[in-house]
Amino acid sequence: MQDDEIGEVIGSSNIEFIAESVLLHNSPPFGTFIKVQSRETIYAAVFNAYTHSLEPNRLAIAYHRSDQELRDEQPQIFELLKTKFEAVIIGYESEGAVRYHLPPQPPRIHSFVYPCRPLEVRRLTSQFHFLRSLMSVEKAPRDELIAAAIRTAYAEHKGERSFLVKIGKELIKIIGDDYELLSSILRRIQD
Amino acid sequence: MDNVQKGRRRVGVIVNGSLINGLEMKLDEWYSVEDIRAGRFVVIEGEKSRFFCMVTDVRLDTTNPQVLADPPDEAEELMRQVLHGTTTYGTVCLRPLLMTEKDDVTGDIPGEPHLVKTIPIHFSVVGEAEEEDVNRIFGHEGNPRYFHIGQPLDMDTPVCIDLENFIERSNGIFGKTGTGKTFLTRLMLAGLIHKDRAVNLIFDMHSEYGWQATQESSNGGRLGFVKGLKQLFGSKVAIFTIDPDSARRRGVQSDFAVKIPYNQITVEDIASLSDELNLHPTAVESAYLIWNKHGREWLSTLLSQEPEQIKDFADNVGAHPESISALHRKLKRLEKFDFLQKQVHEDAVYRIMEFLGKGMHIVLEFGQQSSFLCYMLVANILTRRIHDLYVRKTEQYLATHQPQDKPKQLIITIEEAHKFLNPVAARQTIFGTIAREMRKYFVSLLIVDQRPSSIDDEILSQVGTRITALLNDEKDIGAVLTGVSNASWLRGVLASLDSKQQALLMGHAVPMPVVIRTRDYNPAFYSALGYVEGEDLTRKAESNIADLFGDR
Repeated sequence: MQDDEIGEVIGSSNIEFIAESVLLHNSPPFGTFIKVQSRETIYAAVFNAYTHSLEPNRLAIAYHRSDQELRDEQPQIFELLKTKFEAVIIGYESEGAVRYHLPPQPPRIHSFVYPCRPLEVRRLTSQFHFLRSLMSVEKAPRDELIAAAIRTAYAEHKGERSFLVKIGKELIKIIGDDYELLSSILRRIQD
Repeated sequence: MDNVQKGRRRVGVIVNGSLINGLEMKLDEWYSVEDIRAGRFVVIEGEKSRFFCMVTDVRLDTTNPQVLADPPDEAEELMRQVLHGTTTYGTVCLRPLLMTEKDDVTGDIPGEPHLVKTIPIHFSVVGEAEEEDVNRIFGHEGNPRYFHIGQPLDMDTPVCIDLENFIERSNGIFGKTGTGKTFLTRLMLAGLIHKDRAVNLIFDMHSEYGWQATQESSNGGRLGFVKGLKQLFGSKVAIFTIDPDSARRRGVQSDFAVKIPYNQITVEDIASLSDELNLHPTAVESAYLIWNKHGREWLSTLLSQEPEQIKDFADNVGAHPESISALHRKLKRLEKFDFLQKQVHEDAVYRIMEFLGKGMHIVLEFGQQSSFLCYMLVANILTRRIHDLYVRKTEQYLATHQPQDKPKQLIITIEEAHKFLNPVAARQTIFGTIAREMRKYFVSLLIVDQRPSSIDDEILSQVGTRITALLNDEKDIGAVLTGVSNASWLRGVLASLDSKQQALLMGHAVPMPVVIRTRDYNPAFYSALGYVEGEDLTRKAESNIADLFGDR
């Protein structure tokens, strides 16, 4: 059984891609794991999402109506808006095994994007290599992104505290001397 | 790790170190720093050898000084857990003491432990020492040459002392007063007697070895009585006394009352007491003049002079009258000792030699006569003559080479040893000679003292095995470590001993320095020595009767 797609790749590179969301305002949550069915299954983590008008040089206009009123009175404006999201590639699947490095080819344009199933999230995050990919993201605050990803993973690991401690120790290796960054991430995990 | 670390609980890995300054181990994160105590044993599995080490220091370290500037507060539990073992970790300093080569193929340890000549490679795994390791190093009590004296601080494995090596040299038991010197000494003596390794002559100043003695409880109060050597070993031990009245009052059956005739006191004996008697050096010279004239009867002749005869007597021997008069006055003190007599009908020294020859151990009690003057006088006189006899016996043995002529190794126990062995006295008393010439004549010393720094350096350096309870004084600690190579790390260990039931063993009779909890001196110990009482005694007697006469 195949899940419903949540987006379609509209721009891609070896390390990240942009996808357009199927539903307006319904991008996958920040810091969650998604996959692209391309030649291989490519796994990625969402680090950014935004909604804007179709025409690049036009901003949307404020109507001072509630969402429902707008849908009743001006349904066409929703057709002029698009939600897009960006994700950083953290690995791919090849011959039934997850590889924690970049795929040989970027995801194809127009490939569909699906959310990762809980089991896949568990598998992806049982190794902590994804943290290193997240560290390389520059377009989003790293502490927020890593904390969000860890929270997602933590939920799938049944809230085992030892998982948090282990991943924290791994973070120290990756972050090195930046004690500030470490403590801000850990604080975000704890809340 | 592979097969070599099987079963051993991992403590950490070696990250740094040198042969001279010791090794540094990074503590594993799941091992608490608080579980690591100074003095405990660990084993390092090197590539080619296994190293036996002692923990000498524990330190908290961090990879990031920022953490120390802004430590996580109590609520940040996750932060603490994450930092623990990664950014912040424990470093343990280890002193490699012994190593054994591993068999290349099997990983077995075929060889005997020997002193370390190298250090293990980087990241060698460190594990807790186990019973087997301790036994391999300190021997097993099943072997008659080993005597179980205590346990390592955090293990229940016996640490044994090699009695064969122990008796080869003079040995020392040191410690501040109240730290269990007497118990350690009694324990060692019991071991020597039980294993029948040597005959003992114990100059028991405070009468606490032969018959029962009081035991101090941990809070300093008197707890009760413990058994003395005579009670434990019965006919193997004889109690001699110079104060029969005191023995009788204490209910002790003494085997012999020691009396010493004046003619056995030499000028040297008096000279070595010059401090106690407050003698001037010229007084000693005058004493020699009397000796020249009167020979062995010099002292009785001198003491028999009336004060008004002194001048004539002085002229007669050719000494200064004032000097003779002072000597006379001071030596008059000796007359009040009951055990000094003009004539005795049985020579104590021959009696002692007879007992020792039969393999019996002698405790010489001083009873009420426990002044230094008395103690030193008696110990000196007896030991000098016993030593002479031993020298003669040894010479005979060297001539005949007959095993039956071989003198039995004699260990003389002296307390307050610094009185005999301080740099001045050591040149005059016989004990200095014995300590220096070691086992050549089958006589060695067991020195019990609380002030080792007052003992002559030359003698301290000849002490084979040192059993040391807590010492605080820097000078004493330094003295105990005289002649021990690379001793600086032992200082810390020595100063951190508990004041009760803990001791540092080092020297000839143990392969490496070790801190022990001394064995309890209690009924369990008595029965380990073969002592039986109460119902067991009746049962033993019945079984002996049955063995002798058959079942009736």
